Amino acid sequence: MNAIQVENLTKRYGANEVLKEVNLKIEEGEFYALMGPNGSGKTTLAAIIASVKMPTSGSVDIYGRKPWQAKEWIGYVPQENFSSPKLTGRENLMYFAKLLGYSGSQAENLVGEMLDRMGLSIDAGKRVGKYSGGMRKRLEVATALFPGVRILILDEPTTGLDPAARRNFFGLIEEIKDEKTTIFLITHIGADAELASRVGLIDEGEIIAEDTPESLKRIHGLEDVITVETALNSEKVANILREFSDDKRVLETEAGYRIFSKNGDRVVAEAVRKLDYAGYKVTRIEVARPSLEDVFFRLTQKMVREVG
Amino acid sequence: MSQIAATFNRTIKELLRERPVLFWTIAWPIIWVLIGSFTWTGGTPREIVPYVKGSLTVSMMVFALMMAGMANLPSSIANDRENGMLSKLMSMPISPRKDFVGRILALGAFSVLGAGLVTAVGLAVGARFPGTTAQVGQAVGFLLLVVCVSAGIGLLIGTFIKRVQGAVMTGIGISVVTAAVSGIFAPYNVLPPALQQFSRAYPVSSAHASAAYSLLGEPLLGQEIIGYNPLTASQTGLTVAVSLFLLILGTILYSRFSWRTE
Repeated sequence: MNAIQVENLTKRYGANEVLKEVNLKIEEGEFYALMGPNGSGKTTLAAIIASVKMPTSGSVDIYGRKPWQAKEWIGYVPQENFSSPKLTGRENLMYFAKLLGYSGSQAENLVGEMLDRMGLSIDAGKRVGKYSGGMRKRLEVATALFPGVRILILDEPTTGLDPAARRNFFGLIEEIKDEKTTIFLITHIGADAELASRVGLIDEGEIIAEDTPESLKRIHGLEDVITVETALNSEKVANILREFSDDKRVLETEAGYRIFSKNGDRVVAEAVRKLDYAGYKVTRIEVARPSLEDVFFRLTQKMVREVG
Repeated sequence: MSQIAATFNRTIKELLRERPVLFWTIAWPIIWVLIGSFTWTGGTPREIVPYVKGSLTVSMMVFALMMAGMANLPSSIANDRENGMLSKLMSMPISPRKDFVGRILALGAFSVLGAGLVTAVGLAVGARFPGTTAQVGQAVGFLLLVVCVSAGIGLLIGTFIKRVQGAVMTGIGISVVTAAVSGIFAPYNVLPPALQQFSRAYPVSSAHASAAYSLLGEPLLGQEIIGYNPLTASQTGLTVAVSLFLLILGTILYSRFSWRTE
């Protein structure tokens, strides 16, 4: 059964076409990640599904209903930190519980359970302004998990979280996933999208590929990815590495330079030798299978900074 | 009711926990009541001083109400828009009208608190209001009109000024400038004729004049301190009509544009 069905969805702002005839089906209980760069239209698509925005044309069905008729089934967590920093964690959740019509004692019991589930009971009396980014995001996910929610829409939930908070956050999502709630994750981080059962890649308002993470990598990213970190970054280092890259591209990422080759192990030894000979100290080098970000780059030539 | 109560609770707590809001809405008018009471009454005949202090207290009470409606309300709306709360609310099965009512009731309660504290300080430093109980009731009615018109202007600002900083500064600017040129800060008698006309047409200043006139006891003190009789049928009708018009306009545009799905 389809939890979400999007057909020929187009959204325009004046002459700017943000979504172009998008089609998407997400089954009940599925964990679907939509990955793309900033401005690709993914947040707009999530907002339309959550009935925060209206499409220019096309349709969205949530279990056969229009989005605005299915609001009680949707738990939407926008990208921004929307919880009130002046209220405590408990007060924030009580606000949402009361908005949804729960009476005093019902709301208190429910909020108590949710705080436990999110691991926030100890800090429930603290103002949210004093929460860490991870705690705040968990609290905000809780606002989208009141009884009756069947689809959880998470828009860039791990932006700004440190690695530990990110791992904790996805541990929580893993628990929710077990409960057969449909999860629609919007992200620009490949590692986040890898956790989904199915991934759509979106660019310039169009879904350009869609499959399981493993299939996407198998189909589109056949080479090994070699990441090289040197003591200092320079154009000369990039030029040396370019010789070893099958497609002559060198990407500069936060983890270091990245090149692609079908013979990763051989390239590693030669690249280190050549860099060393040229006087550049290699501080770290590793060979890995391609990530979803690499797949996206392969398809669009976008996403990470390119040198030269 | 649950949604209205939830919005009321959230909004009032946020207002009471925000130090700049407390300062500009409550402490600032109180500071001016204190400064004015001790420094601006030197040349005034001694028997009139308590009523001049009373007039000053009413002015600052009105200013507190203006700040609450014109700066704090749009700040709350713009903040909800900027931090994603509005998107979150729009995705939920709730009513924009109940959200509006909850906000307005919280604003009203906060305004009453602010006005009450300003009045208490004014009375403590010697302000006196010789009006009868009925006249005090009448003044409260006019002060409620100030709450209405300030809320209406605040809703308009919050609806059309998208950023928090812009909304707050616009609200403060409108409050301060209109208070300065309409006879709330300066005596009506010293205003040039054009601004005297504005003072009568601008519902905040005419409601302020009506409240002060009632509290100070017409005709003797009221006429002398306020400068004109704002309690004529035509003037009162104009004050009530423009106040309600601005509130209704703000409500309609807020419901229509702030909660509009683009």
